[in-house]
Formats: sequence, structure tokens, C-alpha cells
Amino acid sequence: MKTFQTVSEFNAYRTAIMDSTKDKKPCIVICGGTGGQASGSNDLIRIIKRRILEQNLHDKLSLRVTGCLGFCEMDPFIIVEPGYNLYPKLKMEDVPRIIDAAVKGEVVEELLYREPGSTVKRFSQQEIPFFQGQTRIVLGQNQNLDPIRIYDYLRMGGYAALEQALGKPDHEWIVHEILRAGLRGRGGAGFLTGKKWELARNAGGSGRKYIICNADEGDPGAYMDRSMLEGNPHAIIEGMIIAALAIKATHGIIYVRTEYPLAIKHATIAMRQARSLGLLGRNILGQGIDFDIEIFQGAGAFVCGEETALIKSIEGKMGEPRQRPPYPIAKGLFGHPTCINNVETLANVPYIVNHGAEAYAGIGVENNTGTKIFSLVGKIKNTGLVEVPLGTPISKVVHEIGGGPVGNAKIKAIQTGGPSGGCIPASMFDLPIDYNSLAKAGSIMGSGGMIVMDMNTCMVDVAKYFMSFLKEESCGKCFTCRKGTQRMYELLEDITLGRGTPEHLTLLEELAQTVKDTTMCGLGQSSPNPVLSTLRYFREEYERHINDKRCDAFVCKQLTGAPCQAACPVDTEPWRYVALVEKGDYEGAYRVIRSANPFPAVSARVCDRKCESRCSLGAGGGEAVAIRALKRFVTDRVEPSVYRPEPAEDKGRKVAVIGAGPAGITAAHQLSLLGYRITVFEAEKIPGGMLTCSLPAYRLPRDIVEKEIEGLMNKNISIEYGRALGKDVTIQSLLSQGFEAVFLAMGAHESLRLGLENEDVEGIFPSIEFLKDFNMRGKELARGHVGVIGGGNSAVDAARIALRQKEVTGVTLFYRRTRDEMPAHEEEIEAALEEGVRIETLVSPIKVHAGEGRLAGIECVKNRLGGIDASGRPTPVPIPGSEFTVNLDTLVVAIGERPGSGPLASMGLEVDKGGRVKADRNTLETSTKGVFAGGDLVTGPNTVIDAVASGKKAAHIIGRFLSGQPLVEPARPKLPGVYIEPAVFEESGEAPPRAVPASLPVSERVMNFREVESALTEEQARTESRRCLRCDLEFTMQQPAEKTAGAAIGGVRHD
Amino acid sequence: MINLTINGLAVSVEKGSTVLEAAQFLGFPIPTLCHHEGLTPYGACRLCVVEIGEGPGARLVSSCTYPVEEGLKVRTASERVVRARKMIIELLLASCPQSKVIQDLASAHGVRTQRFRQEYEDCILCGLCVRMCSEQMMAGAIGFRGRGTERSIGTPFDVQSDVCRFCGGCMHICPACQLRCTYNQPEKAICNACANLAPPCIEKEQYGDMMCYMNPCVACEIK
Repeated sequence: MKTFQTVSEFNAYRTAIMDSTKDKKPCIVICGGTGGQASGSNDLIRIIKRRILEQNLHDKLSLRVTGCLGFCEMDPFIIVEPGYNLYPKLKMEDVPRIIDAAVKGEVVEELLYREPGSTVKRFSQQEIPFFQGQTRIVLGQNQNLDPIRIYDYLRMGGYAALEQALGKPDHEWIVHEILRAGLRGRGGAGFLTGKKWELARNAGGSGRKYIICNADEGDPGAYMDRSMLEGNPHAIIEGMIIAALAIKATHGIIYVRTEYPLAIKHATIAMRQARSLGLLGRNILGQGIDFDIEIFQGAGAFVCGEETALIKSIEGKMGEPRQRPPYPIAKGLFGHPTCINNVETLANVPYIVNHGAEAYAGIGVENNTGTKIFSLVGKIKNTGLVEVPLGTPISKVVHEIGGGPVGNAKIKAIQTGGPSGGCIPASMFDLPIDYNSLAKAGSIMGSGGMIVMDMNTCMVDVAKYFMSFLKEESCGKCFTCRKGTQRMYELLEDITLGRGTPEHLTLLEELAQTVKDTTMCGLGQSSPNPVLSTLRYFREEYERHINDKRCDAFVCKQLTGAPCQAACPVDTEPWRYVALVEKGDYEGAYRVIRSANPFPAVSARVCDRKCESRCSLGAGGGEAVAIRALKRFVTDRVEPSVYRPEPAEDKGRKVAVIGAGPAGITAAHQLSLLGYRITVFEAEKIPGGMLTCSLPAYRLPRDIVEKEIEGLMNKNISIEYGRALGKDVTIQSLLSQGFEAVFLAMGAHESLRLGLENEDVEGIFPSIEFLKDFNMRGKELARGHVGVIGGGNSAVDAARIALRQKEVTGVTLFYRRTRDEMPAHEEEIEAALEEGVRIETLVSPIKVHAGEGRLAGIECVKNRLGGIDASGRPTPVPIPGSEFTVNLDTLVVAIGERPGSGPLASMGLEVDKGGRVKADRNTLETSTKGVFAGGDLVTGPNTVIDAVASGKKAAHIIGRFLSGQPLVEPARPKLPGVYIEPAVFEESGEAPPRAVPASLPVSERVMNFREVESALTEEQARTESRRCLRCDLEFTMQQPAEKTAGAAIGGVRHD
Repeated sequence: MINLTINGLAVSVEKGSTVLEAAQFLGFPIPTLCHHEGLTPYGACRLCVVEIGEGPGARLVSSCTYPVEEGLKVRTASERVVRARKMIIELLLASCPQSKVIQDLASAHGVRTQRFRQEYEDCILCGLCVRMCSEQMMAGAIGFRGRGTERSIGTPFDVQSDVCRFCGGCMHICPACQLRCTYNQPEKAICNACANLAPPCIEKEQYGDMMCYMNPCVACEIK
């Protein structure tokens, strides 16, 4: 390589390279960065090279091994230029096909990128939403160059900025240019780089002056600095040389962690190349300027990213921050003025010099110009590096570029700024990402880590994780940082172990504030941020851990126990009966089920299976154990008489229960066992509530309900039918008749209205009325073409019932979002479709057409999906001009139900806007003493199992109320307590799939109400039960006593 | 001379002095623990924090390391300062309840309870001994190792130091272990810092050995 002595010589060389190598042959681009290599790109590179050699493709194809391209989720992937066809997640055997196609200028369509779950192929990189949403002025260069070839960098205009900078005799203009560009330090604090350079330029005399590139990237999950240094080291070197010219620095140092070997290697090679071209070292391009860069490898202490600690570390001392002032600009490395800039800051400098300050300032928003690279990680589809203009809303990064949540769980928050950053809740995702907004929200930009968290992330656990990181990584000099982080960790650990008390929270807050206030360096001052920001936005989660001993994300083991049990509203121990089924002890299994749940056979058919959604087997990527099917197997096979608790001796005290639905009957049954005399008042002629009036018989046969309720009756319970609250009895009359407590459980039996004109004409029915008339009285209201509006279970039920009515010719269901958002159970929707129900999605009714006082049809408008709303679902947005009319003979409105609580308000109870009775969450007490409420009446439409749970709880609390005890007991985590010997069996090769119970074929079920699903066979059940991972054993096995530290709180009084 | 206000009082002090020196010179009491007049300020214990600046920009800094600046507004006992100081003392008490110095501090600041898990450590890592050893005794036998919760004081690689002259300066200056040195049972006292040489020490064959197996505390722990 020739060492150039003048700027013009270099310019001639540079332009020659830029002009000469406009290569037209296809090029395969592959990431050879650390991330790519870890995902196996080395194998692919080897295959590509071999094939090029073997088939002599040198003239037809080129290969470029680049640094990180950002789309790490899809690694290892290949981009074929010039078409920019992106082939994600490649296997070795796919590569030859791609090479062959690339040589011919063709595309291997089936290997092209498509969004997860979508069939639309993206032919070009630019069409991919992940890349589309970004502005990659810095990161984008990585794709065009091989980091160890300076020619690649020169070809794309590299070192033009340096040439320009060297071209003018006085270099102060650079400082002004950077200042005008508004570039702020990308390391986290966001100090104006131009300002820093101005101070540095004016600092000290003509002695030594340092420019340090801070590449000590230590945030867990952040790797943009590494990727820059690996993928484009020349940009950073160029930025450093320009900075050196601007501030008159004599020495440059790249401070990089030893654990970034590839970055060190690439930077070293790049420096050697720059030196040999005369761009670095003595007398740069003959301009009489001496400046060289060396690499200093840090040992990987997080605190050494702090500038004063970094300086100490280079000086060979312990990496401890010191008090500023004096700032390093005045007194830095070895006492000389030192300017420290982040990798990304320096990488932005050549762009600013090349394109001008105005062009740069045009990107981003005022006071926050330019782009920022974020490493987007966590529970998100597209993990990777993302470069967006500052001021981009978080939602764009998370939902558009990031592709949204990775599973079904909704995104809850993002954590920005690394361990000392903070969490921002999903409700604030409109927030623009810039230094000021993030700081206001209690977080920091930091170096750009962005961790996405969903509903399966426990915020207390997150805070604990970061605190454990910080307590290890605090330098330990400041007492409050060292001890403070340790104590905060202890307090958080207590909370996650179920030992938390309200005092923990007070102390935690006080301590966090003190640590923030009293520590010296940036690390210490921001170390309580994880605690403070989670407390600010997720305090309820902390309180849930402390007061209810529950971790709703199922993360904290000591609060969760076996997930299936923790998920069950009625505290059934699924692990236990599954284990008993495996042993063949079906009666024992029934007893386990029945002791927790008075409605086992009903639940075995209609429970929404919260247990299965939390099953560890499902969470680990497999299929959950078919717990409900096993319950069905047990309840079908065992006579309920094996568990029939005897009521206690009559205490002679009366309790009234209003409503004979699952909540009311459960409460009555449980209270009767305690020896109270219960009178149930039911408005209808038969018991069961929603079980009989709403649920179709093909899902829940009537005899099952009748038999189950019959079994719950005993001498202490009497039911008075046809007696409605408000009409026949009042709360006051009950209380005056000697009932000492009243439990209100009338459910939610009023359908919501569309709020359209003509809604009351003949032929339109609220879903509840439609279902009740059929299920309880056998009246068939539907005829002709039936429309159903809604997407919930009752809409699907109504549609399927309508389909079975004699005068119906067809049924269409209208829903305003897409099928993915329909709240109804997937298998119900599937069954409805099989039976012939048509489903029209993205449609909303806007008008009801009536003729002669009767429904004639509805006018609808088509929707498209808009932005994500607070419920985590996309909002339907009407498309103007897309209106259309549908002729209908019957319309069932099933857009939701509300409690019919009109009469209750007049009896002095507090009722909210949705008709829900206000009752304390913990004690179920209403605003009237002695009156309790539960079930759908309080929650609005909810599941059967939640109603049963509410009835169970009501009975417990009313029992305590009547015996004069405090209503609530301190919560305790519900952990498995019974040891059942795990099954021993030969594992035969492949794991068996989840058992699926047989169901009636469509032809046999569509015109009748025979139960669709049947029970598992005994063999199926036994096999299925063996799939259980037995999470309970962790808690019930005899374990050597672990040494556990005492509670973090308690202390000692010193007076 | 630098002009600044301390607790509303306009004062002027010599350039290069610290806020702590200025305040102490003027008679405003600021508690300290890791500070010693004969040693360079270190700023580890954070007990000497004062509030500087005004409005939303107000912040706490350790007065022992903060140099006086022209126009600086210092408050040595604002509510924020007092709250922070009390929490620091509570933390100290939770770690080293047996230290006389810490007990006195707690007493003087009305801290009567500590709410954390009680620890009984011998060292608060204030670094007085380290600075004493290198700055006054010119030995540099001991120093800090590790970081975070692993941070401790000792000789390199825990090998008895060649440069240690067993001067006892480290023990003399240690604020955490005084009570231990004298203890409430004088016969158990083990070092000469309290001038209370008791038989158990003398009976040791090599008296000097006792001081430099500094694990975990340089001052007095012998294991």
C-alpha cells in the first residue's frame, strides 16, 4: 500500500477506487459479526466459498462478509444484491440453491423472508417492515463493506470527510459544524458533542491531549457499539481523526472490552490499514499533523464505562469514578485534557461532515437530531439492531419495526437505557424516543438498550435482576451505592419470595431515593431507576406480591408453586389429579377435583382452562397437558357420590343468596356445609343461571348441569324459584326477615345495545333474550337469513344455535376486527365455521333498515386495523365509502352483556356505569353492611370458573362475617403440599402428542344438540397424564434444608 | 478568594478548598466518617453530603470532595440532606452496629432503629486505612480489591505484605472496629490501637503476624 504524502494524491486514489469498482455482478452479503457467527454464519460462508471455488464462479458472483446487519432474529441470513433478496434463517443445505439462483439472476421464492404467520413473500430487503421503518445512516453502511477491507470503505466514499477536514487549514469549523448539527452524545447522557469539543479545543496548552473512544459497552442485551466497531471500524477511526483535528488532540485511545475480540481485531486491522495509507500516525497526509490511535482493552467492569473510571482504568488504577469537577476535559488521562466520546457519536461524525450540519439536523426532532441505534431485545418478534431518527414514538419501534409481541401475551413495558435505565409501560408507547422525554418518564436513553417485556414478565423480578447486576457491578466506593444496591436487592428478593410486607415498599422507596441522591457517579445515581420506575408504573404488581402473595406473571417461583394450580381461580390442584390418573386412582382424582370445585362435570366441559394456558409444558414451546380433557375423563367415569361432604349441624342462622347460577349455588353449598340455613332466590323457573340459559346443550348437556346442582343440595338449602330481587323481594325485606347476610349473584343478563335507530323493530333480538328463549323455553326466534353481531362466545353460541333452528336458511356473523382478535374460543369459532356459519370480519353495522316495522337488513361499513389501543388490540377504523347493505330476516345483537343491576341502585347499593355492583375486591362487601356481591354482577361477563371461585370466596367470607372474625386472612402463597410418587416408565423415542378427545363429525351434530366432544379413552388419559412435567415435585420432594437468609427487613432497635 | 453562600451566609474562602473545609471553618457542622484532615479526601461514606444549586437543578454532593466554586449556594442541613444522612446512618448501623463511631453518629442524628437485615461487619470500606497506609506511612501495603459486594480491603493476593511495617496506623484510624478493639470485655481486646494489650495477644508467638492477615478487616480481625 502506498503511503500518501498529500491530500490531493489521496483524493486521486480515493476517487479512482470509487469510480473503478462499480461492479455489476451479483453479490452475496452475509453477516460475519459476532451475532451472525454465533448463529452459524461461518458454516454458510464456508459453503459459499467452496461452491464459488468448485464451480469457478469468480466472475459471476462475489461474496461479502460484513459486520452485523441488524436483523439478528433472522440470523444466519443472506442478502443477494442487486435484488436485495433476503433469505432468513438458512440451513446449510439451502445455500447451494441460492448461489445457483443468484448466478442466474433468479430468486428462490420459497426461502424468501415473510413475516411470521404471514404468507406474503418479501422480495426485497426494502419491502421488509423491519428495514422499512428505519433510517440507517450509520448502521446501513455495514451492509456495504467488509470491515477488514479499507477499499470497501473507500469505495463507498469513506475518508472523504477526513479529506475535507484536512483540506482547510483551521479546523475550528468542524466544531461549529458539529454544534450546528446538534449531535448529542450517544453514550447516554446526551451532552452536546460540539459543546464538548469546543471545551476540549480550548482546554490546556499545546501539550498532550487525548481523544478516547468509549467502547466499554456493558449493558445486558446491548450490542450496538460492538456491532459498529466490528462492522465499520473505519467510520469510527475517521470520526476519531476528525475529532482529533477539531480539538487538537495528539493521542487517541479506543477503550474496548476484552470480551469483544472480533471488534478489537477489526479495529486493529483497520488502524493498520489507515496508517499505511498515511491517514493515521505521523504527519497525516503530509499536513504536519501527528495523531495516532491505540487500543486499550478493559477487563469488563460495567463501571469503567463511566468516564472518570475509564480514565483510571487506562491509568492502570482501579476503575473507580471520581468527583467531577474537575472534568476530564480539564484534567483527564494522566492529568491531560481528555475528550471522551461514545462509539456511535464518533460514527456519526463523518456523516455530518460529508452531508453538512443542516442535512443532519433535518433528521430527528428539535434538540434531538440525528438517529440512534437501539438494540431491540426481549419478548419481541424482530430482535436486532434498529436505527431510527430521535423522536420516533416507542410504538413504532416496538410494533412496526419490532413486529410486536413474540407470543400471545401482550407487551407490558419496555426497559430502556440498560440496568440503570427505567421501565416505560405500554400505555405510554406514544412517547417519542428522545433524551428529554425518556428522562421525564423516569428512564434514560442510556447507550440504547431496549428490552421488551410482556405479560409473562414480572416487574419485581426485572427490578431484582437489574439490582443483582448492579450490586455486582457497582464499583463499591460510595457506601450508599454498594450497600444501597445490595439492600434494595435483598428487599426485592424478599418480595419475590413471598416475605414482603408493606414496610418493604416504604423502605425500598426511601432507600432508592437516598441512593439516587447521595451517590457520586452516573452509575450510582441511576442505579435505583429500575426500582423507582417499576414502582412508579407497576406499583400494583408489587402490592399484588406483597398483599396477595401472587405473581401474575408466574415468574416468582415461591409465589407460584405449580403454575396450573396457581392459575386456577378455585385452587384446584391439577398436577395432583393428573398424577392420580396416571396411577389409575380415578376416585382419588375425583376427590381432588371435587374438593376444590363443586362443579367438576360442568367445568370439565366449559372451563376456559387457565391451567392449560399456564402449563409449563406449553410455556416451554410444547403443547400443554390436556388438563380439562383429563378432568372430563375422571368426571365421566367416577360417581359423584365418592365425595359428598356432609353439612355441619344447623346453626339456625339464615343467609340469603340471590341467583341460582354457578356463583350463587356454590356459595349456598359451601355455606350449608358450615351449618348455615340458606335460601336461594331465583328469578327463573330452573336453576343454573348462565349454565342453562346461555350455554348451548351441545357444549354442556342439560342433564349434567341438573345432576351436578342436585348433588350440591342438602337439608340446609332451599331454593325459591320465580322470585326476583326488586320485584318480589328487596335487600331490606330480606334483612328484616332475619337473614343475617345476603349474597348477590344475579350475573350479567342484560345485552348491550348497538345504539342504532330502529333497533327495537321486530326481528332484532338481544343475544341473552334469544338464547334464554331457546334454551329455557324452547322458543325458536330466528328465521330466514340470520345475522349475528359480535365476536365473543355468546355471539358464536347464538350463531350456532340459530343454525340449528328450523326456519333458518343461513347464519352470518359480523365482527369488527379480524378473526385473530375474536374473543371467542378458537375451537368454538372453528366448529361454527365447520357447521356452516359464515364469518364476516372487519365489518361494523352502522344502520338498521326496517320495513313495515320489521327488520329488513343492516348497512355495514368495512374497517381496517388501526393502531394498537390500550387493550393491546388494533382499533378498527372505518373505511369511508365502503358501506354495503346486507338483507336479513333476523338479527341477534351479541356485542356483550352487562349486569341488570337497575333495582340494586334503588336499594342503596353503589353501581358503576357498566352496571357492575361495587364490591371490595378482597372482602366482596358492598356499600351495605352484611350484603356481599360476586360473580358476573361485580366483574361483568366472565367465565364459569371465575363465578364458582367468587361463590367459594363469598361463602368463606360470609362464614367469617357471621362468626365475627376479620373478613380477610393474610394471604399465603398456594404451593403444592402433597407428595405423589412420580411415575416410572420407559420413554419410547418421540414424546407422545397432546391427547385430543374424539368429537362428533359435522354431519352428525349440525341439526341437533348432542354433545359434540366426548371423553378421552382410558389409554389416552393414562398416556396424557404421563406428559405432565410434575412441577409440584420441586416443592414436595424431600430436599436438603437450604440455607436461606433471614428476611431483609426487621432489623434491630437500638434504643 | 472564592465567593459562595453557605446556608444563606455569603462567605469567601480560599481557592482550592473544599466545601467541607469552608463549612467547617465557618462552624457549620457536617458529619464525616471517611474524612481525615491528614489524608486526601475520598468521598466514600457519603455522610458529608450537602445540597448545592437551586430549584430542580439542586443536587447532593459530598462536601469533602467538592471544590468551592464562585457563586455556589450550599445548604448543609436542608431537609433533603438530613433525610439522606439519616438513611446513610441507618445503612451503616445495619452493617456495623458494633462500631462506637457509628453508634455515636446514630445517637447524634436521632437514628434509633434500623430496618434492614442486621449484619455484623467489621469494615465499611471507608478507605481511611488504605490512605493512611499509603499517604502517611508511605507503605501502600493494603488496598481495595474487587467491586460491588465483593469489594474488600487487603494485601495483594492476601499474602503478607513485604512493605508493611506493622505500624498499626490502619487500626488507629479505623472507625468501624474501635469497639471491637477494646470490646466490652477488655481481656478480649487484641490490638495495640487501643493501648489495651491483653494476654491473648502477647501470648502469640509472632505478634506482628496478627495484623497482616487482614481478612476480612485489616484492622483487627484475626482468623
